[in-house]
Amino acid sequence: MLITDLLKQEFRKGFRSQAFYRGLAVKILMGFLALYFAVLFVLMGIVLGEILNEVHDTLKPLELFNGASLYVLLSVLALRFMMQSLNVLNLQTYQSLPIKRKTLVNFMLIKPIFSPANYMSLLVIVPFALKSVVVWHSGWVALQFVLNWVLLIWVNIWLASYLKRRFGHDFKLLIVILAVILGIAALEYFKVFSLFDISMSVFNFLTMMPFGWLATLVFAGLAYGLNLLFFSKNYYPEKFNEKLNRNENKVVGGLSFLEKYGTIGELIQLQIRLIFRHKRTKTLVYLSAFFMLYGLLFYTSEMYTNSAIWLVFCGLIITGMLSITYGQWVISWESNYFDAILTKNIPSKEYIKANFYILIAFNILSFLLTMPYFFFGTKIIYLHIAMFLYNTGVNMFLLVYTAAFNTKRVDLMAKSAFNYQGTTYKSFLIVLPIMFFPMLLAGVLGIFTTYNIIMLVFGLLGLVGVLLILQQMKLCTNHFNKRKYAMAEGFREKE
Amino acid sequence: MITITNLSKKYNENVVLDIPELTIQAGESFGLVGNNGAGKTTMFRLILDLIEATTGEVSIDGEPVARRDEWKTFVGSFLDEGFLIDYLTPDEYFAFVGKLYGKSEGDITAFTDKMADFFNGEVAGNKKLIRELSKGNQKKTGIAAALLCDPKILILDEPFTALDPSSQIRLKRLLNELQETQNTTMLISSHDLNHVTEVCKRTVVLEKGKVVRDIATSVDTLKELESYFAV
Repeated sequence: MLITDLLKQEFRKGFRSQAFYRGLAVKILMGFLALYFAVLFVLMGIVLGEILNEVHDTLKPLELFNGASLYVLLSVLALRFMMQSLNVLNLQTYQSLPIKRKTLVNFMLIKPIFSPANYMSLLVIVPFALKSVVVWHSGWVALQFVLNWVLLIWVNIWLASYLKRRFGHDFKLLIVILAVILGIAALEYFKVFSLFDISMSVFNFLTMMPFGWLATLVFAGLAYGLNLLFFSKNYYPEKFNEKLNRNENKVVGGLSFLEKYGTIGELIQLQIRLIFRHKRTKTLVYLSAFFMLYGLLFYTSEMYTNSAIWLVFCGLIITGMLSITYGQWVISWESNYFDAILTKNIPSKEYIKANFYILIAFNILSFLLTMPYFFFGTKIIYLHIAMFLYNTGVNMFLLVYTAAFNTKRVDLMAKSAFNYQGTTYKSFLIVLPIMFFPMLLAGVLGIFTTYNIIMLVFGLLGLVGVLLILQQMKLCTNHFNKRKYAMAEGFREKE
Repeated sequence: MITITNLSKKYNENVVLDIPELTIQAGESFGLVGNNGAGKTTMFRLILDLIEATTGEVSIDGEPVARRDEWKTFVGSFLDEGFLIDYLTPDEYFAFVGKLYGKSEGDITAFTDKMADFFNGEVAGNKKLIRELSKGNQKKTGIAAALLCDPKILILDEPFTALDPSSQIRLKRLLNELQETQNTTMLISSHDLNHVTEVCKRTVVLEKGKVVRDIATSVDTLKELESYFAV
């Protein structure tokens, strides 16, 4: 069958790409990280039943789970809508060959079904089914529960790809979806309307009725059909990918005020365009915003709030995630046109300054956005102020200074779900002084003194850094001028 | 205006460029020819301080270029796509570059209007991003951006390749005009001997990193070059 041939070619494409064999160290590190999360997920699946059992007196774990399912699926749909990359490129290669269009369309739709990354949630679902559903219900219900979940993943994949092709990467649509989810949650909370009950009755039917999974199969078929309908209406790739390629001029348009600030303003505006016109940078920004929510977990748990070391860790992540993750590749982001940076009228001093300002602006933005955490008490207020100052005064310098050691080209157009192209062991090394040194410092200080004094020390360190910012910039400029040849040479090398 | 002294570039004992002495006068049009790997791009990159010289230096108006910024205000250059910011539209790119040289929006519009003939209705005013343009139009965008700053010195690497015949003729006309009206110093490399002899008053032949011919262009130049490169 032709579709299997096409799938085989896709696998070969993956294994034969040069990137696959490069950067083994990074691969291993990422592998460990993946393993860590996999173990975490499985453990979660094992204990989930017991946790749910304690939450409610009368409802069984599976019923509770079913009630939450619609929320989970909607959130995952939103996440997919943002992150899932659509299969678009290789179609053009095949289109000129004597292959039926129908086969190509089916192939495009079926391909994501074979991607293991889409089934990560099964790591929670299967242990939960084996450990809890079997006990509370029966083996058949457990089997049907897992089968249902797989089919629901398919529904989600196809709905997301339809919505994406139909509406494009519309920033506004995403906000609307998030607002709707939050709105429903609020209605639920005030007991006006319960999506939970609806979700529970629907999913109870699907999982517990004999052959309930057939209904889910029908849903999956409908989602698939929706895509087929779309492709039958939009025949050519340029047509059905039209919405995906649209520029996001609107987001950037409002930044014309930066033009007043001369070269630095221009450079900052350029980088903001860079962020909003590439999937990889956009994903990074969304994910960092997501990390801000971590405080809800950390600051409500006594294990963290009683330890200065953990609090420093959380504070750094919550107030600095955006600038730290973006800063890990600062300057490298612009490797595509680094020669232009070096030859156009951009004095090195101004260039370094612009990068500092962007990172500091990210810091200020994160600080402002995480201000609601101030309601968690003075401890958190001190923490956030201290970490904000420390990040701005010390960590930003470390990031810009060490950025000049990165000589690997970052290809922003490389497409993959978790794109870490351009990552080297150096990207991990930098995390040591930025994340672990402050934790170490907090630990050592904790032996001698109180929490408030520790925060004061961090605040003062940051403040000294901020006062010395001009010297920091000068140091970075000199370092950049020495390293720029090595960087330019590395950046010219395409993978 | 541009002086090169004792300039050499080695990669692991492999000499790719070695020029003991070379001076380019203000207003001179300097053509650089040579086979692949002769060191043309290396020489331009050294002049633009994109790579570090192993020995020697390049100076412009008596000031060394290495690790300085001053020369960037009056040197316009386009070597390859590494000079283009591919996620901008050509208009956005011109605006960005123009602002770096203190041009107003009016100046930039006037400039793109002046270039309309060369653009042939395709580059400016287009909603496409630079990375979506054809190779030829990308080249036009890069050359135009190099000209945007009213450069005293203009450095172009292979400006004629990937251009269609009409555009090649238009570009030659444009460059000749610049020499006559602005007295712009030009450094242009090309594989095509015809183009170089038509635009440049002086032609230098590089081979394996060394200057092997330095000719003032005359009616016989093309023949001399052709016989040199004949195999």
